Amino acid sequence: MTTETANIRLAGISGKRRRLGELGERGKWWRFLAILFITAVVIVPVVAVFILSLTPAFGSTETGLTFANYGHIFTATNLSYWLENSLLVALVTVVVAVAVAAPAGYVLSRGRSRLISGYALILFVIQSLPVVTAVIPLFFLFVKLNLNDNLAGVMIIYIGSTMSVAIWMMAAYFDSIPITLEEAAWIDGASVFGSFTRVVLRNSLPGILSTAIFSFLLAWNDYLIAVVFLKSDVNYTLPIGLQTFFQQNATDWGNVMAVAVIMMLPPIIVFAALNRYFSVGGIGGSLAGR
Amino acid sequence: MTTESVTRSLQRARNGVGVGGGGAPARNRRNKALNHGTTFFFFALPSLFLLLLLNLYPVIYAGFQSVHDGDLIQPGNFIGLRNYLTVLQTADFWRAARFTVIFTVVGVFGSWAVGLGIALLLRTRIPANPVFKVLLLLPWVVPTVVSATAWNWLVATPQAPLPVIAKAIGFGDVSFLGDPLAAQVLVCIFKVWISFPFMMMMLSSALAAVDTNVYEASKVDGAGTWQTFTRITLPMISRTTYVSWILMTIFCVNDFPTIYLLTGGGPVNATQSLVVMAYQTVFANQQVGPGVAIAFIMTIVLVIVSVVLYRQIRKSSIE
Repeated sequence: MTTETANIRLAGISGKRRRLGELGERGKWWRFLAILFITAVVIVPVVAVFILSLTPAFGSTETGLTFANYGHIFTATNLSYWLENSLLVALVTVVVAVAVAAPAGYVLSRGRSRLISGYALILFVIQSLPVVTAVIPLFFLFVKLNLNDNLAGVMIIYIGSTMSVAIWMMAAYFDSIPITLEEAAWIDGASVFGSFTRVVLRNSLPGILSTAIFSFLLAWNDYLIAVVFLKSDVNYTLPIGLQTFFQQNATDWGNVMAVAVIMMLPPIIVFAALNRYFSVGGIGGSLAGR
Repeated sequence: MTTESVTRSLQRARNGVGVGGGGAPARNRRNKALNHGTTFFFFALPSLFLLLLLNLYPVIYAGFQSVHDGDLIQPGNFIGLRNYLTVLQTADFWRAARFTVIFTVVGVFGSWAVGLGIALLLRTRIPANPVFKVLLLLPWVVPTVVSATAWNWLVATPQAPLPVIAKAIGFGDVSFLGDPLAAQVLVCIFKVWISFPFMMMMLSSALAAVDTNVYEASKVDGAGTWQTFTRITLPMISRTTYVSWILMTIFCVNDFPTIYLLTGGGPVNATQSLVVMAYQTVFANQQVGPGVAIAFIMTIVLVIVSVVLYRQIRKSSIE
């Protein structure tokens, strides 16, 4: 770690020298304006959502910005149910996914038999399959098991679909923990299980957080599974609830966007608070680093 | 964390397991090794169970359904490969396959080009750099349902922003959700908008690992900006580029919400990709056999492709 920091510092110093000598201030401002322009264009849709959610409904007497849309969606729709469902589903998915993926990731990281490398390959293949292939047969299975239109059914599928990437992410993190820590614990008489829970997991908070964020976003953002399995209004998660606004003939953008804001706040908050642990592709970082 | 140090610690980890715990006495060591086997088995068991139930079982059952003529309730009779032949003979399937390819190629290379451009800009010292980085990641962080809603609003009426801009720069009256070509372009731009932050983040970390001294050396040797870019920057980030292309290809081919929520596959099925087509065939048209056959064809292709690509990645990481 120390050498790495030193390298970065060194690069920073030499980079500054280079820039002062060649690019000068004008190049810098050109770049700044370019990035400012690109960023402004990119965030237009996101900003539009916020502004429209605060715009009075068409034909309303109010002017300027208003919170009336928020009042309306909470009183006139089942939004509170949808929000509760989404939170519940996402939290259960996160907890179970991490609990199951962590030990499996440990096996992937420390084991070295052919069986285990085969397991790694299978996980990679699974994450590249279209969700729709699994959804259709599971639909039939869940109708039989009475898990159709049931939040538990949706949770089970989310946990299953996070699994392959979550295991990879945990394994990639465990790879960075030196085995000498476990060896010390074994000499002190700890079992493999004991060293895993007391030594490895205790030092894996960043890896656990990345995996948790990944699973949270997957469960929170999913549309396909929810639209197939959830049928009654009180069981909807937010994405499906949001879509119900489009079934009316004229879209009331103020209300739609207010729901949209509520739906995007948790991911943005999670991202803002924990963006150090936010890994873009889930499996992407793991694969690039391994 | 650089690739090198991870590989090194991985190596150390594997060696460590190989000898079963350093300086422990011989008998203890053997016990530990035995312990490993059973503990590992129990460690992997819950995940194995979930994968069998939620991934392997559905794929096998989908294979079963694809050779039967069942509906949403009954499995139906065995009809051999008739579903596959029906599907492969329709023009719709090939049109959807063609659009899937276009969508994937534009999605992968478009987001890569945009992501790389921005990553290069952000590498230089500019004011408020971290703020831009966070704001530019928003398209990736915001749920697709929300961004599709926002984009729907952008094109909802002729007075909405995008049609107005299209008119101002000389395309005339464009109906983004009514004209097949315009809808295809819109979906592709939307996909690039969602995906470029992924590329930006992956390429930024790859660029950060490039030693700046190399650039100084090439400067001394008289290399121009373009030459430096093609001869040094691109080769230095080639591995990350390769991995990100592979992943983005998989993301694009399997992408359902981006297309379905923006256009619903329309107008006149112009933006129907294979995934959307499989979904609509089963759940809208109630034709289970043909729909599953489409999904299963994709599955077979993707299994082969991903096994080959996985081997390639592992090989390149050992080199």
